[in-house]
Amino acid sequence: MTDVMRIVLSPLVWLASFSAVYGLNGLLCGHGLVDAAVGSLSVQRAILVGAYGLALALQAAILVGLHMPRFASSSGFVRGVSVATGMAGFVAAAWSLMPVLTTSLC
Amino acid sequence: MRALERHRKLTAIWSSEPGFRGWFSTVNHTDVGKLFLVTAFVFFLIGGILAMLIRAQLATPHSAFAGPEIYNQIFTMHGTIMMFLFAIPTFEGLAIYLLPKLLGTRDLAYPRLTSYGYWCYLFGGSMLLVSMVLGIAPNGGWFMYPPLTGPIYSPGINTDFWLIGITFVEISAMAAAVELCVSILKYRAPGMSLDKMPIFAWYALVTALMILTGFPPLILGSILLELERAFGLPFFQADLGGDSLLWQHLFWLFGHPEVYIIFLPAAGVISTVLPVMCRTTLLGYGWVVAAAVALAFLSFALWVHHMFTTGIPHMSLALFSAASTLVAVPTGVQIFAWIGTLWKGRPELHLPMLHILGFFVTFVIGGLTGVMVAVVPFDWQVHDTAFVTAHLHYVLFGGFVFPILAGIYYWLPQVTGRKRFFRLGEIAFALIFIGFHLTFLAMHWVGLLGQRRRIDTYLPEDGWTTVNLVSSVGSFIMAMGIAIVILDVVVHVLTATRGPRNPWGAGTLEWAMIIPPPAYNFASLPHVASRDPLADDPDLPLRLARGEGYLGEPREGRRETLMVDVSSGAPEALVVYPANTRLPVAMAAMTGLFFLSLLLKFYWAVPIALAGVAALAWRWVWQLGRSVDEAPAPVGHGITLPSALGADRSPGWWGTSFLLVANGTFFGSLLFGFAFLWTVAPGWPPPALFEASLGEIAVGVAALAVTVAAVESAVRTNRAGGRPLAALLAGLIAVFCVVAVCAVMMARIPAPTEHAYYATLLVLTGYALFHALLTGLMFAFLIARVRAGFTSPSRRAEFTIVSLWTKYLVLTGALVLAACQLPDLFT
Repeated sequence: MTDVMRIVLSPLVWLASFSAVYGLNGLLCGHGLVDAAVGSLSVQRAILVGAYGLALALQAAILVGLHMPRFASSSGFVRGVSVATGMAGFVAAAWSLMPVLTTSLC
Repeated sequence: MRALERHRKLTAIWSSEPGFRGWFSTVNHTDVGKLFLVTAFVFFLIGGILAMLIRAQLATPHSAFAGPEIYNQIFTMHGTIMMFLFAIPTFEGLAIYLLPKLLGTRDLAYPRLTSYGYWCYLFGGSMLLVSMVLGIAPNGGWFMYPPLTGPIYSPGINTDFWLIGITFVEISAMAAAVELCVSILKYRAPGMSLDKMPIFAWYALVTALMILTGFPPLILGSILLELERAFGLPFFQADLGGDSLLWQHLFWLFGHPEVYIIFLPAAGVISTVLPVMCRTTLLGYGWVVAAAVALAFLSFALWVHHMFTTGIPHMSLALFSAASTLVAVPTGVQIFAWIGTLWKGRPELHLPMLHILGFFVTFVIGGLTGVMVAVVPFDWQVHDTAFVTAHLHYVLFGGFVFPILAGIYYWLPQVTGRKRFFRLGEIAFALIFIGFHLTFLAMHWVGLLGQRRRIDTYLPEDGWTTVNLVSSVGSFIMAMGIAIVILDVVVHVLTATRGPRNPWGAGTLEWAMIIPPPAYNFASLPHVASRDPLADDPDLPLRLARGEGYLGEPREGRRETLMVDVSSGAPEALVVYPANTRLPVAMAAMTGLFFLSLLLKFYWAVPIALAGVAALAWRWVWQLGRSVDEAPAPVGHGITLPSALGADRSPGWWGTSFLLVANGTFFGSLLFGFAFLWTVAPGWPPPALFEASLGEIAVGVAALAVTVAAVESAVRTNRAGGRPLAALLAGLIAVFCVVAVCAVMMARIPAPTEHAYYATLLVLTGYALFHALLTGLMFAFLIARVRAGFTSPSRRAEFTIVSLWTKYLVLTGALVLAACQLPDLFT
C-alpha cells in the first residue's frame, strides 16, 4: 500500500493545497482584509502568495523525497510512476495557483 | 486428478443454483456482472427512447408533442437514467465481470456485496421508473438545483423520487467501489506485481477510488435537500441562513469527477483493446497509469467551472479556469499513447477498432470544446445553452459509449463462446457515427445561435428550426444504429457458432480459460511473470486446466482463492468465500423498505426497516468466520498459507478502510457545508449560538477516550489468548455514554427549522449519534462472538475491524463536539 501512496501523494497534496487556497480566498473576501496593506502589497495578496509558495515548496519536497533512496520505492515501475505524478503535482500547483499573482482578488 | 474431474468438482462447488431461483441467490461475479450489464442496457434503451422524445419535441417550433410538465420529466429522466442508471452501472458490470478474469483469480473480494449492490441498483432504478410510469417523475433537471427543487417551488413528490431513488442506487456504486479497490489491490494472481497489472485494472482502481470520494458529497446534498423538503430544515433557503449555492458546490463536487468516473473505465477499455487490434503492446504503460492518476485528482478541482456564472470572486474563477485547462494535459498523454500504439503496431480494422476510431474523432472534439468552456468569458456566453449540452454529449458518448461498444464486440466471444457471423455491427457503427455527429454538431450550432438548454419549444422567428430538424433527424439515425447493435448482439448470442478460445490473439488472462467462462474461472490460479502472460505462454490455459497452478485441488467443497501482497503480488493468505445465498436480495429489499418509507412518508416503518437491516447485517457477518482454528494449508507450488481470518489486515479490514475513506469524505463535505454557510451564506450570524456545556464536553471526551482504550485492550487481550469480555463491556458502556451526550446535545439545539445553523448542528450530532449506535452494535457483536467461541489469537480479524470503526467514531465525535461547542466558548 505504501507504493500506492507514493503514486498518489503529490496529486493529493496538490488537491489539498488548491482547495485550501480557494477556501482562503473565499474567507478573505468574505471577512474583510481587502483594504489592509503591507507596503505596496495588500495583506490578502501577501497571504495568498505565501500559500502559493508553501504549496510549491511542499511539491518540491515531495519530488525530492521521491528521488531519495530512503523514500523511493524499490520497484522501478513505482519509482517511475510516482516521479511522473510528482511532476504532475508540481506543475499543477505552479499553473493552477498562479492566478494569486496576477488576478484581481475578489 | 484429471482435468475433466477437476472441472466437474469445481463446477459443483462454484455454480449458482439452476434456473430462475439462481438469479436471486447467485453471488458469482460472472452472473452478477452479466445481470448488471443487461440491466444497464435496458436502462440505456429507456434513456434513449426519452432522448428521441426530446428530439421529437424540438424538431419543429411550436411543438405540441408534449406539454412543459411532461417535457420537464422527460429531459430530467433522460439525464438521470443515462448518468446514474446506465453509465456508472455499466462500468460496475464490466469491472465485476472482467476483473477477476483479468487478474487471474476466482471472484471479487466480497461476493455477497456484489450481489447486494446489484439488487440495490435494480430496486432503486425501478423506483425511478415507477415514478415515470405514474407521471410523477423528477422534473427539476438532472442536477436538481434548489430553490427550484426546494419545497416552495416543487412541493410534489417528483423531486423526492430523485433524491431518495438516486441515494439508494448510489449504495450500489459505493459497494462496487469498495469491492473493486480491495479486489484489485489484494485479489490478484500470485506474482502479479503492480507493474504487471492489466491496464484496465489500473483504470478500474482509479475509478473506484474516485467513486469513493466523489459520490459522498452528492449523497450528503441529497440527504440535506430531502431533510429540507420533508422536515423544513433550511439548508438551501437564503432567508433562513441557508444558501442554494451550497447545493451547487456539493453537486458539482460529485458531478465533475463523475465525468471522469465515466471516461476512465472507457479509457481502460481502449487501452486494453487497442493494442490487441494493433498486434502490439500499449505504448507508455507507466505514463498512461500516471496520466490516469493525475487526471483523477485534477478532476476533483474543476467543480466550480460549472458555476462560473454564479458570481464567485474573480480569483476563484481564474483558479478553476486554470485547473480546467490543465486537465487537457493528462488526457492528451493518453491520447498520444494510443496514437503511438497505433503507430508502432499493425492495426487491423475489426469492428471494435471502428468504434475506437469513432471514439478518437468524437472525444477529441468533445475535449476541445471542453477547453473552450473552461475559458471564463466564453463560458459566460454559452452557459446553459445547447452548446454545453452538445459538448457533454461529445465527451460522454464519445468518451464512453463508443469505447463500451468496442468493448462489447471485443469481449462478446469471451462471454458467449461464439464467433460473429452476421455483419450487422458495421452497418450499426456507420449509422451511430453519422447520426451522432449530425445530432450534436447541429446542437453546438444552435447553442451558439442562442438556444437555451431544456426549453420545451421555440418560435419560428428564432431561426433555429432547420438546425433543430437536422439534429432530430440525426438522433433518429443514431437510434436505428443502436437498435441494430442490440439486434446484432441478440442474434449472436442465440445463433452464432462456437468460436476459438482466443479469437483476437490477446495476451491477457481472461482468454486463458474455457469460453464461455466456467463459474470458477480458472481450474488453478496462474503464477504471473509478465504483463501479457498468455502471449508469453500460449500453453498456459492447458496447464491451468491440468491443475498446475495454485489451488488446483478442490477441497471440502470450499470456494477458495488467494490474497496477495499489494505491491509484489506475493501470496499472503488463503481466502474461503461464502456460498450462494439469498441474504443480499433480502438485505437490498429491507434497504429498499427504508427508502420507500422515507419517500412515502411512512415514518413509522423506518425503525422497522432499520432494525431489519441491522438484523440481516448481523446474520451476514455472523456467517463468516469459524469456531475452530485452522492450520495453514498447502496452496500449490510448495507454498503453505494461513487463513485470511487470522490476519490483522483481513479482507474485512481492507473493505472497512476504503469504506471509511468514503465515510470520511462524507463527513468532510458536511464540515465544508457548515463552513461554507457560516462564511458565505446571507442571514448569518444566527440568532444565538449553541450554548456550550462543559459537562457535555467532559463526558463526551472521556467516553470517547474510554471507548478507544477499551477496544485496544480487547485487541491485546485476544491476541494474548484471553477472553476480552470485560474490556468489550466497558467499551459498550462508554459508547452508550457517547450516545447519551449526542442525544442531550440534539435535544438542546434550538428549533432547527428556524436557521440553517441549527439544522446543520442537528445533522452533525445526528451523524455522531448514528456512528455511536453503529459502534455499539459492533461491540455487542464482538461480545456475542467471544461468548460463542468464534475468536482466538489466530481468529482476530473482527477485533481489528471494530478497532477501525471505533477510532473513526472517536475522531468524528471529537470534531462534532468541537464544531458544536467551541464557537460559543470562544465568542
